Amino acid sequence: MPPKAQFTREDGIYHSFCGLVSVGWLYQKIKDSFFLILGTHTCAHLLQNTMGVMIFARPRFAISLLEEADLSSAQPAIADQIAEITREHHPSVIFLLSSCTPEVMKVEFEGLAQSVSTPEVPVLFVPASGLDFTFSQSEDSVLQALIPFCPQAPPDDKRVVFLGSVNDAIADDFLFEASRLGIPVAGFLPANHFHELPPIGPGTIIAPLQPFLAKVANQLTNDRGATVMSSLFPFGPDGCRAFWEDLAAHFDLKVDLSEREAASWARIKEHTDLLKGKKVFLSADTLLELPLARFIRAAGAEVLECSTPYINRRFHARELALLDGVRLVEQANFERQLRSIAEEQPDLVISNIITANPLIGHGVVAKWGTEFIFSPIHGWAGVNTLVGLFTRALRRHARLDPLGSDPVWMAGVMPGAPEIIPLTRG
Amino acid sequence: MRLAYWMYEGTAHHGVGRVMNSMRNTHAVFHAPQGDGYVNTIFTMLERTPGFPAMTTSVVSGTDLARGTLRLPETLRQVEATRHPDLIVVVASCSTILLQENLEIAAHQSGLACEVMVYDANPYRMQETAAAEGLFTALVKKYATPQPLTSLPSVNILGPSSLGFHARHDLISLRRILKTLGVAVNVVAPWGASVDDLRRLPAAWLTIAPYRELGRLAAEHLEAQFGTAALYDAPIGVQPTLRWLDALLETLNTVGSRLAVPPSPLKLPPLTEFSLDGMSAPSNVPWFARTADMESFTGKKAFVFGDATHTVGVTKFLADELGMPIAGAGTYLVKEADWVRSQLQGYVSDADFLATDEFQQVADRIGQLRPELVCGTQMERHTGRRYDLNVMVISSPTHIENHLLAYRPFLGFDGADVIADEVSTTCTLGMEKHLIDMFGDAGLELVEPAAAESAEPVLASNGNAAVAPVAVVAELVKPTNGHAPEEQSSNGNGSALPTGAAPSGQTAAVPAVNPVWTADGEAMLKKIPFFVRGRARGNIEKYAREHGIATITAEVLLAAKEHLGA
Ligand code: SF4
Repeated sequence: MPPKAQFTREDGIYHSFCGLVSVGWLYQKIKDSFFLILGTHTCAHLLQNTMGVMIFARPRFAISLLEEADLSSAQPAIADQIAEITREHHPSVIFLLSSCTPEVMKVEFEGLAQSVSTPEVPVLFVPASGLDFTFSQSEDSVLQALIPFCPQAPPDDKRVVFLGSVNDAIADDFLFEASRLGIPVAGFLPANHFHELPPIGPGTIIAPLQPFLAKVANQLTNDRGATVMSSLFPFGPDGCRAFWEDLAAHFDLKVDLSEREAASWARIKEHTDLLKGKKVFLSADTLLELPLARFIRAAGAEVLECSTPYINRRFHARELALLDGVRLVEQANFERQLRSIAEEQPDLVISNIITANPLIGHGVVAKWGTEFIFSPIHGWAGVNTLVGLFTRALRRHARLDPLGSDPVWMAGVMPGAPEIIPLTRG
Repeated sequence: MRLAYWMYEGTAHHGVGRVMNSMRNTHAVFHAPQGDGYVNTIFTMLERTPGFPAMTTSVVSGTDLARGTLRLPETLRQVEATRHPDLIVVVASCSTILLQENLEIAAHQSGLACEVMVYDANPYRMQETAAAEGLFTALVKKYATPQPLTSLPSVNILGPSSLGFHARHDLISLRRILKTLGVAVNVVAPWGASVDDLRRLPAAWLTIAPYRELGRLAAEHLEAQFGTAALYDAPIGVQPTLRWLDALLETLNTVGSRLAVPPSPLKLPPLTEFSLDGMSAPSNVPWFARTADMESFTGKKAFVFGDATHTVGVTKFLADELGMPIAGAGTYLVKEADWVRSQLQGYVSDADFLATDEFQQVADRIGQLRPELVCGTQMERHTGRRYDLNVMVISSPTHIENHLLAYRPFLGFDGADVIADEVSTTCTLGMEKHLIDMFGDAGLELVEPAAAESAEPVLASNGNAAVAPVAVVAELVKPTNGHAPEEQSSNGNGSALPTGAAPSGQTAAVPAVNPVWTADGEAMLKKIPFFVRGRARGNIEKYAREHGIATITAEVLLAAKEHLGA
């Protein structure tokens, strides 16, 4: 039984994106894919505002736009659009993403996807709507949709499959590291191309690289009998050491990475010196929060609170064990968090992108948590980037003239909020 | 159903959020799934709001729907307890509106002391502009109260709003003009206005409503209901500003003459008084337009596309004040197309006029016309760059690049100078670039146009996913001199490097030979975006030389990356 970690769930006001945002990196990762979202003007506006404008060439994602006249039809007609996408983009696979409106309309997505799917260009249903999925979570849905297309590996094929989308440089880093330790690698899920998916079978060890993939990991066990490694996620010297030592153990390799871990910590000493004893408050929505809190704690900081959209007792078990004593909150009430911040005076808040500037406006040193999702923080090579994201805001604010926090310098910026009462003292 | 890639206008709930975030002590509550709160980001990242935007998402989840939970009353209570607003406006989203819940009852159940208004904005019939204008008009109708006029001449300014195009700067420009005239500002709304300010609107002698998109219907209401005169023109350009001043003074003097105790009539002061120092030309445009500089603009054609106000104002400005031929113009506010077309009679023929909210059509038109200047939104900025055309942004929707710190109004004399500067720098730089194309780079380091374009997502509206490609290479392209201290200590770290870097044992004095790249090393280098690849290559070679490595394999590259990253 996994340990009984203590965390609370608050039902209240919180800030988060929906699952559609994952498209931002998934369409870049799976290079021969197309992401079609059956959605509304809202979904289109969300995508263009959260991903920036990516319309230079022809983006490999689009919204199949539900307009008023479409609301009455039981099953939306998307065949023409699929034909257009196939003709113009030649994708190997099309992901059909759900959104809130068709969910409310009770569109039968599985059937819809099947009706337009062909053996040449499969159309796969991916649940991603904001009613059920937050931010990075829908990568879990995309990977589940890909499972049937992973070749079946024979039982004696004992190799590792790394789970989670990472960029090529990180992938190479993991390949080299595995070969250095003598760990045989079957591939990555997802791979860069649809037809390069790794074989998975009962001998496969699944090594999760991202903490938001609990369901696909579970399904790989159920469908293919694969073994999902339970370890820390490979962030920070502590996480990397545990990850590789545990992975090696699955291949009966005894590996001691204590020296390597020590050297890695030594290399970022300049940063950890700065973090030592600092009070850090994590209030973000990327689902990376648990491992980030574990790392920053190991680096010497005091974690006042760690809130994240969802916690999975089993998938996050090892991380949770190391966060013993930290206040852990699921779907935190942001208004309560503001009160806690005022009370506990953190030195650094890892926040949602939505709340970063206002927190800074209230005198808090805030770091935009989304940046962790988009930075190469995995593995040994990512350690410096990872720790640097934590210290950058601290260093920058320390260098700025304290006069900058006088409210006069924000006067007139926000018409509706002429005076802002700082949350921080001194 | 159609395939959509990009939208000019935001959604109805975004329009509601813009009005609420403009006002004091008002708050929007979205009855919506969690993702719909994304609109907050547009305020906090583009407008860089130091406060929390005045909008809260009352989250609706799939579980809530299954269980029949309605969080709205509780959210309303929390918003009232923490923000103490005078007014909360509740709006449904594209998905929750289909549930046909009675939000009035839910709002009532919350038992709030403050006023709660459920605004019926059907997101399938209304977009950002219509929703904002509709809500603002409804609020003015609701609160404006009959009262005597102010004893001295005063005006309302309706229309400036949060995320309005250069709205804060336009407001400064208008206030400067009014101050010079000696006319008081009664109320500005929605920008900075409270519910009480809306009550005071009918005390003004006149309403200035320069934007076709926001404030016009409220001004019409004040005119119809309270007889408050209104000035609907947008003073964009020098001549329109002069005409606008005449109309403003004439109307105010008429209103004043009807008062029991008429104040002395207002007179136009010497124009130099409108300048920043009070002793110069109020605008440099009339002289600039006649200078030799502008000679090179002769015959250069412009294409203008945007909202209604800016499309009309900028087209006329380019034609009338800079003498540029207009190749075409149009608007994405399809409902305003007739008005824009009629305003541009004599400037743009019907054939050259475009009313569409599909950016591909605009892009096609620009591609056919290849004008020397494109004035548009952030989307035309992209399109123009794709065709290597000169582009300036003259209308929402904007990009972070358009949210600059310095005073850059579009209205009034100050605005005329800003627009003319933008035109001339945009086009002149374009010309220089063509010279370079023709005569070679003359030793200049020319940024590849393609590079500029690839680098662009980095500047995307909130930098979100767009950060990725840059962050990936961040440590490889850091200037190596920034790493001096770490490099000194690198010997001790040898053991932490992958085996490929084993020769790094002997570092110190190695002769500076240029390392060679193996095929796999090159292949991995290619994975680094090309616009920073050159610098990454340099840093890796430097690393190799310093560590006495003669051959750069993929493994060495990774070792270098780990090392340089530290
Ligand atoms: S929360 Fe739902 S409606 Fe809103 S953008 Fe996400 S999927 Fe679309």
